[in-house]
Amino acid sequence: MKKFLIFLFVSSFIFSADAKFSIEKGGDARKSIAIIEANDSLGGSKGDTFYSILLADMKVSGHFLPSKEKIQGDFHSTVIPANLKSYQYILKYKLTTEAGLSLYVALYNASNGSAIFQKSYNMNSQSKYPFLAHKAISDINDALKLESIEWINRYVIFSRYTEPRKSEIVLADYTFNYQKTIIKGGLNLFPKWGDKDQKSFYYTSFSGKLPTLYRLNIYNGKKDAIATSAGMLVCSDVSKNGEKILATMAPEGQPDIYEIDVMSGAKKRITNFGGIDVGGRYVDDESRIVFVSNRLGYANIFKQSINGSSVVPVVNRGKNNNQCDAFGGKIVYASRETSSASSGNTFNLYLANSNGGNIYPLTASGENQYPRFSTNGKVVLFVKNSRNGSQIGYINLETKQSELFSLGGKKVQSIDW
Amino acid sequence: MKKNLILSITILVLLGGCAQKAPNLSGNVSDATGFNGESVSTADGSGISSPNGAMIDGRYNSSSDGFQSIYFSFGAYNVESDMYSYIAKNAENIENIGGSQIKIEGNCDEFGTDEYNYALGLKRAKAVKEALVSKGISEDKFVLVSLGESSPVCNEPTEICYSRNRRVDLRVSR
Repeated sequence: MKKFLIFLFVSSFIFSADAKFSIEKGGDARKSIAIIEANDSLGGSKGDTFYSILLADMKVSGHFLPSKEKIQGDFHSTVIPANLKSYQYILKYKLTTEAGLSLYVALYNASNGSAIFQKSYNMNSQSKYPFLAHKAISDINDALKLESIEWINRYVIFSRYTEPRKSEIVLADYTFNYQKTIIKGGLNLFPKWGDKDQKSFYYTSFSGKLPTLYRLNIYNGKKDAIATSAGMLVCSDVSKNGEKILATMAPEGQPDIYEIDVMSGAKKRITNFGGIDVGGRYVDDESRIVFVSNRLGYANIFKQSINGSSVVPVVNRGKNNNQCDAFGGKIVYASRETSSASSGNTFNLYLANSNGGNIYPLTASGENQYPRFSTNGKVVLFVKNSRNGSQIGYINLETKQSELFSLGGKKVQSIDW
Repeated sequence: MKKNLILSITILVLLGGCAQKAPNLSGNVSDATGFNGESVSTADGSGISSPNGAMIDGRYNSSSDGFQSIYFSFGAYNVESDMYSYIAKNAENIENIGGSQIKIEGNCDEFGTDEYNYALGLKRAKAVKEALVSKGISEDKFVLVSLGESSPVCNEPTEICYSRNRRVDLRVSR
């Protein structure tokens, strides 16, 4: 219940209110869909939140235009009301507490009433109920042969400060209605998924004399120490097969980017610069990396071959581009638009190709950081920080659809999904 | 009879009725694969006691064991001339302490982002270490760690407060 009180669902359209981002799309191809909640579906705050999660899933997918008002009806009725005939589809659902938590869904063609998709879902753990909604909408999306939105089924993992020198690492669904603290009790930072199935993740622990990188299996608790380094140690990317990682290390007090073979522990230094090199990300089939460096006197995005030493700048605008993520031939980066402590803290996000061309602004105001591509590269997750705490935003790069979810008063330190 | 039939058809049309089979879901219950597995919860470390950064003898200090914190300008990691006297005092303190290792902790204000801020804190710690080495202290004496923006001594949105967080603290490594 506490989670529901803390949770504030914020649906907003960043593009209309906050962004200059503009990717034109011919017409509105979204499917109009009326959502009917069964009269005997689970009510109360959980029922209301479940409905809002279904709506969020549909909106952020970019594929659906859901009905604005909640409609209630008989789940088993054979009649489609006349006032819903203007929709393309009718989605009926019923959430019950039988055998833990069960969800029944049925999708109909609104014009002729034919059933397109019917399925039921069950889970033991009621706390994970948001995943029932995500799975159902993801399946309906697939049944209509729309481009996969599998990313809504994934866990988000993030660290947040709880007090000075203390933090916690939390597992969540993408709407943050489900949250579970995985690690608490010290200063543990920079969580990064270690495999595509999200069974383990890397994080940096400060519990010893030196920062130590661990990999933790979230299902059996097995914890492996991967590396230790003086100064700092952060896992910033994981290869597709999970066998290698990019890490920022400073064995001699100098932050540079290394590639670590996870099995053998062998370390290969990739960058070698007397200033700051951080945040390595694999690009170009893992033959190169993009990373953040201050080698031109300010933080900017650079590119280098894994096996070479030639470094080229990727972005030619802004004087403080200090975070980036990469997917295929695209990068998304955060740029600080203000240049001193007294001039506030405005960060905006920009999309570009990995050679720095075709730059598009994604946000226009606020403190927008930590951009992360979805597994299919079609959506960008980001953190919008303010003095009141953090919000998590999602931008669908193709449809302009976006959503913001509030995380409450604690500041996010790092995030991955 | 005919009248009743027409009336029934009219009502059905007006209602927009469209008969179809109700979904038969019995025997179709499937597990939402992958979400029943319960994840672990664990503790890692008890945290490090945080410095208070109180003002002593007219200057702020969040170091311990007789050391004085070194402060930095916005975004910078070079030791500035007004900090040289504190570097000299810290070097003297190390000589007095004897064999213990010294932990140098780099810190930042909130105007940065995850990895970059930790790297900036580390560069500050390294700069202080090099300044102390230039005073004749052995390199082996030091352990460096960056705490990024995780250890603020002040949380007010003012420049005075931000400047107190852009610092390097020194203490005996325990």
